[in-house]
Amino acid sequence: MKPRTVTHASFTLERHFRQPPSRVFGAFADTPAKQAWFHGPDDWARDVHTMDFRVGGMETSSGGSPGGPVSSFRARYQDIVPDQRIVYSYDMDLNGDRISVSLTTIEFKPDGAGTRLVFTEQGAYLDGWDNPALREEGTAQLLDQLASFLDT
Amino acid sequence: MSDHSVAHGTFVVERTYPHPVEKVWAAWSDPKLKSQWFGGNGDNPPKVFEFKPGGRESSAGTIPDGPTYNFDVTYQDIVPLSRILYSYDMHMDGRKISVSLAAIEFWPATGGTKMKLTEYGLFLDGLDTVAQRQEGTIGLMNQLGAFLDRQ
Repeated sequence: MKPRTVTHASFTLERHFRQPPSRVFGAFADTPAKQAWFHGPDDWARDVHTMDFRVGGMETSSGGSPGGPVSSFRARYQDIVPDQRIVYSYDMDLNGDRISVSLTTIEFKPDGAGTRLVFTEQGAYLDGWDNPALREEGTAQLLDQLASFLDT
Repeated sequence: MSDHSVAHGTFVVERTYPHPVEKVWAAWSDPKLKSQWFGGNGDNPPKVFEFKPGGRESSAGTIPDGPTYNFDVTYQDIVPLSRILYSYDMHMDGRKISVSLAAIEFWPATGGTKMKLTEYGLFLDGLDTVAQRQEGTIGLMNQLGAFLDRQ
């Protein structure tokens, strides 16, 4: 058994999108829209994804590269203000081991004709399975996929 | 309500209690014990207490001539005698004032137990602050210490 450790860390990512807050928020709130960009790398098997976008509702996603470990994401929405903010906490498991517990805040702010998105994540990384730098990198990749989705 | 602000804050509270880990752990995991120090004297036990990953805890309390607070927890990771992670919401008179992630770690220490509580919080719409939450949490950890001493 791995030694039990908890590494605390947070990161913030900011992006500008040309689209207005209602459109960017919609890419998080609408299930088909979210599935279009919120997924693992292209070589992963297609994620199994469920989503119930309301306070207290759950979102789950799991997937992985062919033959590789299975990552599972399980979130609970804790606060939603339409077109303005989304707060959820989530767990990540890797092959059934809990690797992190995080609290995510996404703020949508008008920025000219577009949107400034501020993504803040506060995480507890468990037992050395994962680290904050990797999570930040993965999140930046997701926001790149969001930008591509919004531009199409 | 036009203020939809989010203030992020974090704090750490560390204590060494002169009691074995098993006893400190029980004060968190047993609802009868927890209700004797966590925001009451056993007179206001939680309405829901499911101490397991994915389980909930829910309690409410009213300050005399003051607001009613609701505390709603989801336990996210539990390793017996080692750590507890949970997220929680606080409501004041029905309005959400914060969403937080708490991690409590326990280690055997010379003559007792070292405990470290780390909280990340979002304080919403200007209704609460990290300074107030830290002060309140320090008060709770002092109550835990006093409870353990008199047990």
